[in-house]
Amino acid sequence: MGVSIPPKEADRLKNIVDENGGSSDEFDSEGEASEGSEVSEVATEEDGGSSGDEDASTSDGSGLVDDEDENEGSEEGADANGSSSDDEKASASVDDGLESGEGSGDSDSERSEVAEESDSSEDEVAPRNTIGDVPLEWYKDEQHIGYDIKGKKITKKERQDKLDSFLASVDDSKNWRKIYDDYNDEDVELTKAEAKMISRLLNGKAPHADFDPYAPYVDWFKWDDAIHPLSNAPEPKRRFIPSKWEAKKVVKYVRAIRKGLIKFEKPKEEPRFYMLWGDDSGAADKTNHLSYIPAPKPKLPGHEESYNPSLEYIPTQEEINSYQLMYEEDRPKFIPKRFTSMRSIPAYEDAVKDSFERCLDLYLCPRVRKKRINIDPESLKPKLPSRKDLKPYPSTCYMEYIGHKGPVVSISTEFSGEWIASGSTDGTVRIWEVESGRCRKVWEFDEAVQYVAWNPMPEFPILAISVGQDAYLLNTGLGNEETQRKVGELLHVEAAKVSDDSS
Amino acid sequence: MDVDMDERQIQARFVTKLNPPFKAPPSAITIPATVTRLGLSTIVNSLLKAGDPEWETQPFDFLIDGELVRMSLDRFLLAKGISAEKTLEIEYIKAVVPRKEEEPSLHDDWVSAVDGSCSRFILTGCYDGFGRVWKGAGVCSHILEGHTDVITSVSIINPLGDVTLATASKDQTLRLWKMDSEEGVDDVPAKIRPFKILRGHSASVGSVAAQASGSMICSGSWDCRVNLWQTDVSSAEGDSVSIKKRKTKNGTEEPQLEGAPVSTLVGHTQQVSSLVWPELDTIYSASWDHTIRRWDAETGKDVSSIICGRPFNCLSVGGEGSTLVAAGGSTPILRIWDPRKPGTSAPVYQFSSHTSWISACQWHSKSWFHLLSASYDGKVMLWDLRTAWPVSVIESHEDKVLCADWWKEDCVISGGRDSKLRISSGVPVL
Repeated sequence: MGVSIPPKEADRLKNIVDENGGSSDEFDSEGEASEGSEVSEVATEEDGGSSGDEDASTSDGSGLVDDEDENEGSEEGADANGSSSDDEKASASVDDGLESGEGSGDSDSERSEVAEESDSSEDEVAPRNTIGDVPLEWYKDEQHIGYDIKGKKITKKERQDKLDSFLASVDDSKNWRKIYDDYNDEDVELTKAEAKMISRLLNGKAPHADFDPYAPYVDWFKWDDAIHPLSNAPEPKRRFIPSKWEAKKVVKYVRAIRKGLIKFEKPKEEPRFYMLWGDDSGAADKTNHLSYIPAPKPKLPGHEESYNPSLEYIPTQEEINSYQLMYEEDRPKFIPKRFTSMRSIPAYEDAVKDSFERCLDLYLCPRVRKKRINIDPESLKPKLPSRKDLKPYPSTCYMEYIGHKGPVVSISTEFSGEWIASGSTDGTVRIWEVESGRCRKVWEFDEAVQYVAWNPMPEFPILAISVGQDAYLLNTGLGNEETQRKVGELLHVEAAKVSDDSS
Repeated sequence: MDVDMDERQIQARFVTKLNPPFKAPPSAITIPATVTRLGLSTIVNSLLKAGDPEWETQPFDFLIDGELVRMSLDRFLLAKGISAEKTLEIEYIKAVVPRKEEEPSLHDDWVSAVDGSCSRFILTGCYDGFGRVWKGAGVCSHILEGHTDVITSVSIINPLGDVTLATASKDQTLRLWKMDSEEGVDDVPAKIRPFKILRGHSASVGSVAAQASGSMICSGSWDCRVNLWQTDVSSAEGDSVSIKKRKTKNGTEEPQLEGAPVSTLVGHTQQVSSLVWPELDTIYSASWDHTIRRWDAETGKDVSSIICGRPFNCLSVGGEGSTLVAAGGSTPILRIWDPRKPGTSAPVYQFSSHTSWISACQWHSKSWFHLLSASYDGKVMLWDLRTAWPVSVIESHEDKVLCADWWKEDCVISGGRDSKLRISSGVPVL
């Protein structure tokens, strides 16, 4: 809530205030501290500095002054704050208050004894409230906000309601300098000097006006007759080698990491919703960093690269000649050679080239994961048509043509669909009526009939048969006489008498 | 009235459109809810017996709200969402079940076609190339000889009056047979003589159908065409060249007229397996190219077509107002379309009790609701539109049933691979 004022100044200010005593100008009779006026008077003196120190007798740290009694005693009324040096001085106080300073009378005198010109924080005036770092929240339901040095409770002041405080603030010309210190439950009024200091600090300048940041540097130390260096110690080796301390620190960190004490990332929050039907591999594979693709392993030298390989590895002269006949790209790149002694081993010509290429492989060659083709092998199979597409297909046997004795090997239907000719291994060819299943004609042969076929021209009902080694053309005898006559002419034979086996 | 907690009771009243002997008293009675058709039938029978002591028990079928009852009454009501609180009005009809199975008429080979449109006789076509006329079960009166190959389809043209028979065969011809109208007594057979051969198809003829007036027939064949022919004896149109003289069974020689098609309906891409000529100028044809086409007989144009995913084997037009088209094919499902319905090619009804190809289907000529179907699984099923289960199943054939028809309005005739023609009589459709 406030600006931190250096302890020395705060004390000084306090003392100044105390010294001048309190005179109430515009203040309420109740308890306005008269420090305001004192402060304004003091302001001119503050540059002087220490004049007020001695007079800091009755000053009390906190500007608690609600006490009407104390108001008379201006010195006392103008109780300087017992607030700590870090805190602001609360100048004005709230009316109607309980006296927050019960033991203020006693404590006043004690607190007003401040150290002079001491920069040490030990010598600061301690804050009125001795609760230390106990959070004030714990006292929020209580009537007091802490205890003073004597052990007495510091009761809370009754605060003005907002309206009244607003009105008071409007009327009060010094309101802009007043800050409420809730630790001590006081209002601190800054002196003009303090206010100026604060503004200088806010602007980033040095708090004291008398400080000149651009003053030339007065080098008190004389270097004129310095002939020896301050230190002639040789530069320590540790400046040139990796730092031991850092190594130790690194080891410590590594151990901590290994133990898991140091965590780098926030622990991943379990997602509240997860994909039931999602592909599990999707999230796991996608890492932030590039996936590591290792460089190809260099081929380790085998027997062929040996300086003295077995004889069978070495190509003969004919083979070497035959390499010349091959295309360039087919030739073997390395021809094993044999050296009987170490002296005669020549230098490896490709050493630099090999290492260069290896370096290229390692860092200069972009590596990409080859996408393997994911073909479902089932998709390569040809798709069979569904059963519905194949309809109508035969499903029930309705007609049977019974008569053959042996397996029927060949069937042929006549053009109009009225007859079926069938040949079987029992050596018979039969002609059947399709619609009734009746066998109209039978021909018998010695050997098994292999194939029967109707004449593609429907005008001539001739059947071609292949029996054994022979092929026959049969006049089936169907059709009317005219057809028969024509067929007879065609075949140049008389109509053969065939047995009419109507079974 | 004791109300058992387990058994609910329903108030019901029986009504019928049948004639008086069958009329039950119209008062409402209480019946248990778990009763099935059989139970209902016994109740009605007992009611009728109460009225008429000489009553013979007859099976009845029951309709509620136009739907046949095929399960227990409470389940039916639950399925239909009919409240059991009010008095139910149950209509009963005679159960369409054949009472009697006649003797089988044996053929020499598979019976591939039957026609029962004339009530005096049955015409069958057989795989031995002969057509046969039967007067009754096992009584074959005529054999029609002439075809050189399997007969695939037969048709009776103009059943009233001058009867003409048409047979279609795999020898790519159709033959017309005239039946002399001197009926006389049953034991004096009328003469049947072939009088025309119709050539014009380039492949086996699969089906034949006659116009209602009897003057024209149409035939469909494996060359994907439908040909229309004149059937008059004295037809000056078309080439009437007498080419062959053949001896019929009766020993008479008749000049054979050859006929050429009057017009050809082109449009199908596969065999025309079945034809119907219901009205004067409308021809329906069903084919293995998955379509049923309707043709205008005058112009020969394809008017409309119903496309279904299966090749069709059989076709019949009938039902209410003779407009419903029933067709069966190489699926076990018998489908019925209504061509009057705009913009749909979905079948109105589907009957799927068969287990193999449906080879024949035929509407009853008088009833709105009844039709039959024959299938390669050896069964002939009678259907009523009002229920999804067959009204009755005739399992008289051991092998595939190739053809079926109604005869005399209360018989079902069918022929199959077992070479037998079977007659189931006493079917009280109306």
